[in-house]
Amino acid sequence: MIVKDWCSFCGECAGVCPRNLIEVKEYSLIFSDTDCKECDFCINACPLNALERD
Amino acid sequence: MIETDVLVVGAGPAGSIAAKHAARGGAKVILIDKKSEIGAPKRCAEGVSDNGLENLGITPDPRYIAKKIDGVRLVSPNKTNVWLTSEEIDLPEAGYCLERKVFDKFMAMDAAREGAEIRIKTLAKGLRKDGDYVIVTCESMGEEFDIKTKIVIAADGPESRVARWAGLKTATKPGNMESGIQYEMCGVEFEREGVIEFYFGSVAPGGYAWIFPKGDDIANVGLAVIAQDTNKTAYEHLQEFVANCPATQNAQAVELNVGGDPVGGMPRKIYGDNIVVCGDAAGQVNPLTGGGIISGMNGGKVAGDVAAKAIIDNDWSEKYLEEYQIKIHEEIGAEIDKYLKVKEYALSLSDEELDSVAEAFQNIDFEKISTTEIVKNLVKVSPKALLKLGKLI
Repeated sequence: MIVKDWCSFCGECAGVCPRNLIEVKEYSLIFSDTDCKECDFCINACPLNALERD
Repeated sequence: MIETDVLVVGAGPAGSIAAKHAARGGAKVILIDKKSEIGAPKRCAEGVSDNGLENLGITPDPRYIAKKIDGVRLVSPNKTNVWLTSEEIDLPEAGYCLERKVFDKFMAMDAAREGAEIRIKTLAKGLRKDGDYVIVTCESMGEEFDIKTKIVIAADGPESRVARWAGLKTATKPGNMESGIQYEMCGVEFEREGVIEFYFGSVAPGGYAWIFPKGDDIANVGLAVIAQDTNKTAYEHLQEFVANCPATQNAQAVELNVGGDPVGGMPRKIYGDNIVVCGDAAGQVNPLTGGGIISGMNGGKVAGDVAAKAIIDNDWSEKYLEEYQIKIHEEIGAEIDKYLKVKEYALSLSDEELDSVAEAFQNIDFEKISTTEIVKNLVKVSPKALLKLGKLI
């Protein structure tokens, strides 16, 4: 997942991830891409359009 | 290894009050938060009711009150205003706009003064069972370490992972997650002072827009949308709202806040062996308004009290901790269920129907300012609402 530099790390993406794969740190997001089923819930939920699939 | 009775994950208002009550009840408590500053950045419009704080035993402190609220303005899509202020109502219920960056710290300090140990910049990274205990792996300043605890109180917000690590089904469905975004702005021009404003209709699909005053010309100006109900981002909707709203024509943003708001109600189960869940992580949010400070703190208070009692009784099994779910459902469950139905109805209204409700409200005498009063009068003026919500009210 590409995290754009305007991400505010609000964690909304993590809240809707059905597989609990997103770790939200204070100033970074870590995605467990290997288990991702590409549902894109995280991308669609982002209020700032800050996520993009690789 | 660090050992404790109760580990609270997340030092928002729900987590801090949980830590405070668990410590007050005699438990050894650690409260962790991943951020370097508790309360910042805020993800909230910062409104609370006076009696909400009072019921939690909190006397409002002027150091975290940004503005006293004296009324409500509802604005329909065609700009019909419904004013519910001291000019229209004898005794409007008082409320406040908080300064969350100060309020949240005060709540954490209250927990510390009761004996809780606070660890900031500490992230929970995983959870595993160890006999009658659980071990939570944490990370702080590049160092990884374990905390062994009897009970975890998961108050880690809408992005909660802790409860899910424990096997609870607390994930929020995309249709139940409001995408919230707001500016804190100066130069906002209010028609009446101390009034919180709500704007309804297609300005914010699946939610509403708001202006919450924080000073003479300062306000939180924001909105929340359901992402799947619109093909624009919440940010694009906010830009449009600010460009078109008369109050913000000369306003400038000094802060941008973003965050999800779980408005689908509480999950079916928010407890298990060694764990209870509270606050946004447990969906303790009014589904209609999205307000979650007071309801989340109610959850935290009950969670802390039950956890302390569990430690005294030497039983932190799922069966014992079920008491938390029973109590919190008694306190706020019925309200949340009711407002879920009201929200479903409200979202079914077109812009034209919202306009006609606002027109009909012009001839109604409101007795007080509350969400329930507004819904009660909605049922009076709308046959469709009476049909859908009559039994509820």
